[in-house]
Amino acid sequence: MLDAIKDVVRKSSIHVCIVNCGGCNGCDVECVALLSPRYDLEQFGIYVHNNPREADVLLLTGAVTEQWKDNLKRIYDKAPEPKIAVAVGNCPISGDVFAQEGGHVNAPASNFIPVAAEIPGCPPRPNEILEAILAVGPQAIADRGREQK
Amino acid sequence: MIVPIGPIHPALKEPIRLKLQTEGERVVKAEIEYGYVHRGIEKIIEGKTWQKGIYLSERVCGICSYEHTQTFAETIEAISDVDVPPRAQFLRVIANELDRIQSHLLANSTFFKSMDHETLFMHVLELREYAMDSIELLTGNRVNMGWNVVGGVKMDADERHFEPILENLKKIEERFEIVRSLFAEGPALALRCKGIGYMSKKEAIKGRAVGPIGRASGVKEDYRVGHYTYDDYFDFKVIRRTEGDNYARTLTRYDEIPESISLVRQAIENIPDGEVRTPAEIKSGYAMRRNEAPRGEVTYMIETNGNLIKNISIRTPSIPNMDSCAKYMIRDVPTVADAVSTYASCDPCVACAERVAITNEAGKTLVKRWDEVI
Repeated sequence: MLDAIKDVVRKSSIHVCIVNCGGCNGCDVECVALLSPRYDLEQFGIYVHNNPREADVLLLTGAVTEQWKDNLKRIYDKAPEPKIAVAVGNCPISGDVFAQEGGHVNAPASNFIPVAAEIPGCPPRPNEILEAILAVGPQAIADRGREQK
Repeated sequence: MIVPIGPIHPALKEPIRLKLQTEGERVVKAEIEYGYVHRGIEKIIEGKTWQKGIYLSERVCGICSYEHTQTFAETIEAISDVDVPPRAQFLRVIANELDRIQSHLLANSTFFKSMDHETLFMHVLELREYAMDSIELLTGNRVNMGWNVVGGVKMDADERHFEPILENLKKIEERFEIVRSLFAEGPALALRCKGIGYMSKKEAIKGRAVGPIGRASGVKEDYRVGHYTYDDYFDFKVIRRTEGDNYARTLTRYDEIPESISLVRQAIENIPDGEVRTPAEIKSGYAMRRNEAPRGEVTYMIETNGNLIKNISIRTPSIPNMDSCAKYMIRDVPTVADAVSTYASCDPCVACAERVAITNEAGKTLVKRWDEVI
């Protein structure tokens, strides 16, 4: 009974933190565009406030640069359970164009923290990001909450 | 006491560390720590053809990505003596100005967000979506457009594209005056902006401030003046203010939007017929070009060897702007909250600020010629 109530609460209120670990900003502006009245992220109970200590979902953008190698895990540990990480764009998935000779990136991000969902695209469209968060986020957070018990 | 902000913080959208030295609530000094987004793009481009280079140069910065490709293409054109057909030049102006509109609207909306005025943030962000629609209609993509090639642009556009773009611009114009006057004449916002983050013209020149940030302090450089397309075919006004505070910086960006809209209209009305792309044979040589990105001056210095790029050096507007922000603007702001909004008012873009800097033992940055650095 208590679990069922907790599931409902966790599914209907998702707090998001955007973690740019070394991208070109393209995915970040598309995440900001989600806040605009056209896409209206908040009608789905999702709130973006960029504070890892309150976040349920970490939106990772960018290939992992040298400075982020240790810090990414630290940011992930700061977020309270239950939490998931979603990789937005090609960079955290494969490193995109930066993962070649001369580049200083350590993609994929899943080497450092567990990633629940991946949204490819350079950058993905805002509705794709929204669709992915809504498809994966609520259930994954609820499941993780039951696991953590 | 030193208040650290960032790299991940509710007030910031991008990873950067601000160290504010405070006395009570008053911020007396600020320091910016870079280096969270360094990917080594210049090194990757070396030894590659321009087709790969232009793709990478677009990913220097995601917000003003268009101007990077245009400057890259123009530099290679200058090396190889390629003349761009007039129709392609006009199409470049349309895309460039649409990009400027969306970037300025985004910068202003994040400034309002940093001042916790969410209503205006939403209004401005909604207007931006019309500009994004126009960009998508013209080039096929929203952010990284992939629209420029050496010798012209990728695709032709016709009435089917221009008419919806004009309609979108009309929608922006209808509501633009409301969102501008809400900021400019509304007492709540203007009181928190006027006189905060002041930078004089002398300091702006000393801190190398460029773009709308420099022009808000009275610097007159706009690199669209002197660009061959703008000089030959277009008529526009350079917006300048003299106050040099947060209010002036935001209003400078606001006032550039009607100019950009009028430039897009002029381009669509007078667009000539003809080819949009000429075949280009890449020569060996060196060239440098400057252009006006939404944030200020973008410089590309490229040396080619055959059709391969031997050396490339990129100068982006964000480093001078953020440096002068830390040095002069956040020098004597009354509260920590004002320091954050002052930082947002200088339109920081961390992704394009990550360049190689060479320092000597004392920690002083040395300015070197680009070929000495390598």
